[in-house]
Amino acid sequence: MTSRRLAQGGLIDRSRPIRFTFDHKSFAGLAGDTLASALLANGRMLMARSFKYHRPRGVVTAGASEPNALMEIGERGRRDANSRATMVELYDGLFAVSQNRWPSLAFDLGAVNGLAASIFVAGFYYKTFMWPKSFWEKVYEPLIRRAAGLGRASHEPDPDAYEKAYAHCDVLVIGSGPAGLMAALAAGRAGARVIFADEGSRLGGSLLAEREEIAGDSGFAFVAATLAELEALPNVTLMPRTTVFGWFDGNVFGALERVNKHVAVPPAHEPVERYWRIIAKQAVMATGAEERPLVFGGNDKPGVMQASAIRAYVNRYAVTPGARAVVFTNNSSGYRTARDVLAAGIDVAAIIDARDGGTETHAAGVPLIADAVVTRVVGRERITGVNVLKGGATTADRIEADFVAMSGGWNPVIHLSCHKGDKPVWDAERACFLPPSSTPGLIPVGAAAGALTLSQCLKDGSAAGARAAGLAGFKATSIAVPETRDDEPYSIRPLWHVRQSTAKAFVDFQNDVTLEDIPLAAREGFNSIELVKRFTTSGMGTDQGKLSNINASGILAEATGRTVPEIGTTTFRPFYTPVSFGALTGAFRATHYQPVRKTPLHEWCEEMGAVFMEAGLWLRSAWFPKPGEDWRAAATREVMAVRQSVGICDVSTLGKIDLQGSDATALLNRLYCNGFSTLQPGKARYGLMLREDGFLFDDGTVSHLASGHYFITTTTANAGRVMSHIEFCHQALWPELGVQYVSVTDQWAQIAVAGPNARRVLERVIAEDLADAAFPYLGAQAVTVAGGIPARLFRISFSGELAYELSVPADHGNHVARLLMSEGSGFGIVPYGVEALSIMRIEKGHVAGGELNGTTTPEDLGLGRMVSRNKDFIGRMMGEREALKAGNRDVLVGVKPVEPDHQLRAGAHLLTRGAVASLDNDQGYVTSVAWSPMLRQWIGLALLKRGRERHGEIVQVYDDLRNSRMLVEVTHPCFYDRENLKLHG
Amino acid sequence: MAEMASQTQRSVPLGAILTAGRYGAKGPDGPGVTLRLRHPLSIVTVMARKGRAEALAAALRDGFGLALPGPGQSTAAQDLALRWAGPEQWLAIAEGGRDGDLHQRLTAALADTASLVDQSQGRVAIVIAGPRARAVLAKGTAVDLHPSRFRPGQVAMTQMAHVGIHLAQSAPDVFELLVFRSFAESLFEFLIAMAAEYGYEVVSRE
Amino acid sequence: MLIDCPYCGERLSEEFTILGDATKQRPAGSGASDIDAWYDYVFIRDNPKGRHREYWQHTGGCRAWLVVERDTLTHQVYAVTPARDASA
Repeated sequence: MTSRRLAQGGLIDRSRPIRFTFDHKSFAGLAGDTLASALLANGRMLMARSFKYHRPRGVVTAGASEPNALMEIGERGRRDANSRATMVELYDGLFAVSQNRWPSLAFDLGAVNGLAASIFVAGFYYKTFMWPKSFWEKVYEPLIRRAAGLGRASHEPDPDAYEKAYAHCDVLVIGSGPAGLMAALAAGRAGARVIFADEGSRLGGSLLAEREEIAGDSGFAFVAATLAELEALPNVTLMPRTTVFGWFDGNVFGALERVNKHVAVPPAHEPVERYWRIIAKQAVMATGAEERPLVFGGNDKPGVMQASAIRAYVNRYAVTPGARAVVFTNNSSGYRTARDVLAAGIDVAAIIDARDGGTETHAAGVPLIADAVVTRVVGRERITGVNVLKGGATTADRIEADFVAMSGGWNPVIHLSCHKGDKPVWDAERACFLPPSSTPGLIPVGAAAGALTLSQCLKDGSAAGARAAGLAGFKATSIAVPETRDDEPYSIRPLWHVRQSTAKAFVDFQNDVTLEDIPLAAREGFNSIELVKRFTTSGMGTDQGKLSNINASGILAEATGRTVPEIGTTTFRPFYTPVSFGALTGAFRATHYQPVRKTPLHEWCEEMGAVFMEAGLWLRSAWFPKPGEDWRAAATREVMAVRQSVGICDVSTLGKIDLQGSDATALLNRLYCNGFSTLQPGKARYGLMLREDGFLFDDGTVSHLASGHYFITTTTANAGRVMSHIEFCHQALWPELGVQYVSVTDQWAQIAVAGPNARRVLERVIAEDLADAAFPYLGAQAVTVAGGIPARLFRISFSGELAYELSVPADHGNHVARLLMSEGSGFGIVPYGVEALSIMRIEKGHVAGGELNGTTTPEDLGLGRMVSRNKDFIGRMMGEREALKAGNRDVLVGVKPVEPDHQLRAGAHLLTRGAVASLDNDQGYVTSVAWSPMLRQWIGLALLKRGRERHGEIVQVYDDLRNSRMLVEVTHPCFYDRENLKLHG
Repeated sequence: MAEMASQTQRSVPLGAILTAGRYGAKGPDGPGVTLRLRHPLSIVTVMARKGRAEALAAALRDGFGLALPGPGQSTAAQDLALRWAGPEQWLAIAEGGRDGDLHQRLTAALADTASLVDQSQGRVAIVIAGPRARAVLAKGTAVDLHPSRFRPGQVAMTQMAHVGIHLAQSAPDVFELLVFRSFAESLFEFLIAMAAEYGYEVVSRE
Repeated sequence: MLIDCPYCGERLSEEFTILGDATKQRPAGSGASDIDAWYDYVFIRDNPKGRHREYWQHTGGCRAWLVVERDTLTHQVYAVTPARDASA
């Protein structure tokens, strides 16, 4: 293929050739190229097949809005689908593959869709594949998706690292063209902390793409000099390769930094992308403007490009798309392209101006055909010419050319300014939408604000930078604006489409939406632009309609006899351009997905061979298997050891709160439904907390350590919520109370010591008198462990055995647990886990999370006698509601399968024996189950309608999810040692 | 009776993962940050009793020569530092961590003006220092740590990678993170992952 | 959204936890005649479009409960007060 590289010019490094492959063929480009410019330099105009019709497509733009040249970049886990070749920097070994074609890009069988194009109009799928309904998911959709598709997501894990970070600044300047450069310089010189971000691989924006003269030198030189000054300012941070994609509340901006997308493999330890949240006092939106395509016959053929994109390829990359250009324009931009193309030594066949005649100076020797339109682009995969129809003429003339520059005017890139929901404003003179009239915190400037000449952009940028710095609290004045050549004034006459087109004309290239589709949508009744978008899919591609949306509005306006401002635009939402899932996830994946909490006894648990389970963020020891044991065998053995002798369990995850102050008792009385006024120092008491609506919130123990000094425990699951609740009650409801409280969850390693021999083991490590008389059930006191460790001992029991909880400062936890094991070895002491703990509490009918599930009251769980009648507390009033006292509620019972080997499952529903399974007949459900080593069978706790009157009744267990049904006997919820003889043992 | 307790049998937080050495990128300028653990340390939560904040301030001034720091501030004198830790709440911090020593010392002086709770082993102090310390921390917290906004002596209660931390800058470029003990390993692993691109050195406890 | 914590300064909203409506007062009485006031306090919530007072807690910071007055539509924050002062 012919090389299209120009002999001179450009910002590419001709001394650094770069090898890459496209569709498995090897090519060479130059450092500074994008993949698109390198392919063009190699004469590759065909880069993709279109989404629906599989039409051959080439590159249209030189930037972020590219709808056509989408490719898969990278291999295996690094493969990125739908990458815009215009934004992919060339690097050695780059591996690119075209998308949506089979078997090859040049010969795509899917192109038969194009032959049948007349039936594939908008709405075709919705209407055609409606029946039968079941076929949609199984047959139609997969088929359609295979034919019409984008790139393939990789199924392999991405080997690269992503991360998130925060940044703060006084002034964020978004976009580094002439306005952005001046704004950054003005704000930077004023001393403001400036972040200067641009999506491009190098800063300079449009100045890198245009032939300009600034301060007597080239635009390139001006960029270099300005950047050198900015780089030297310590208060300015330059962020190239960083797309600011969203504007959020509080002037927080989202940005994606492509840290290592320009290399095949990121250097060791470096992330590939970084997701920034930038908190800016002020922002300057200098995002430039996007050139609109024109909608005319064959405007999607490879070689039809934005006029401005052609300038970028010629000026920045020293590449020409072809040998002979034709320009089709309705504004000044086309003239500029003609001049630049000519200056590069490439022919320009003609300028076709849809206006009666512009005021622009056009290059000498180039015919100007005014009041004319292109009706058709001729040629198949390579353009050979265009048909031009002059005003009043009936037949078109053919002009030969092999590439077409088109310009339909400019759309300021206003996306960010609309992200908070404000509507853009139509400007009739420039035929474009401008940013919303008021955008506090964000100053739109330059082309983004409708300034379409260089001198204006430089001047406004300087003023905006100074204003932003001023608003951020700095003394700032505009800086001197360098001289430029006389600008051509911008003039345009809107041309939304060429109605005389004699071939398919495209509005949305990426989604193959044609000129006919939009009036069709309107005729079908979808006549608002939001509905047209959804009916035609215009603007719904990965490019989000950056090129198509305004043309679609214009065409809809004409089709429905309205004006463009009446039609408006679709809603602008983040993200401005696609952001990878990897970046959104950042480092918070796999083991870093969420923080892991480990108890101070974790090391000891590991030594004991614990199997850990996740409980919220905690890792808890679930059981301690011996060789050959499964979970049930291990838990059964642990339960038997505790019930017969002694075991120890890590209960450090319980929430622990230290409460002090003159009103500590008063606060407890208001927090818990039971009373604490009679709780003496040295004693502990079980407590129930309700929510204000009268339902149970949490349970735990309250120990009175010393006068006015309490130690509260909560369930592991509710520890955080209970702390917040206490803080709320004190700070928002009763700030007059003199109380001080703080979480001490992490300060204490807490070890349950349970079983008939618990006291005997503890006596070996604690000097204090633990005899029943000295330290009875519900005792709580400070003790000294192993002759020196300050500890607290509580005689409380979850297992129903003689049991204690021993708290030691966290660093001592592992040591004390080891000590207990060695001192208890003569008693056959075992470590036991959460599984055994749970079995034992179910055997005892103690409630836990399954029963404290937000739908139960103390009465429901048989704890009604705890509820005080003579004090105010959270939940008192609503707990008195009639319906909660009506006597027909689901209440706690035990259930035992009639066939002892039948396995109960939590969640199964209960029915009266013989009743049909229906919502009306529902009698409750099973909340907790265990295989009881003591009863040698499955047992469960359940909430059963009027259950307390039904002990002894046989009911049905119905579990259609797991296809299980059985009969169970309703029992008292306590299955073991109902007289609590062991507890006091 | 069992053997005598010994402070030497205490477990060291992060013991399982904290190994001295140089890790991550190896640049010519040396590691971007150093990380170390301060342990043992005495930490006591000091909470002013209702209406007694001024009396507490006076007792601290008289007994320890320490001013009571306002929100986001800290004070230090000789062997004791005070860091603001929420409304009417402070952390008193001293080197060395014999069980209960600091708590007893403070109780003697402050018991009628403040509630005091020993937190010495419930919090882990990780020190991250060096020219890239701010860059590492900015990957986890939204607090602005620019030298002009967060100066030595200032403190902030914030989150680092979804974990609550109490952050202090003890000297220029030296940051101390107090974290609940149960989260310490997770936080440390996050910090070293984020520091790897600058190179980091783990320093053993002094 | 940024919330200007009276103790910690401006922080991102992700450091805070919202509880909701702060316009209701917990009734003082607990007699039968107070039941309507209790229903209103526990269950009845306005959902205004615009200015509203809400309880937020700085859970990822100083843990203070705050009353945040803000616009539910634009998320503009007008005032932030410690709950201990606001409820008095």
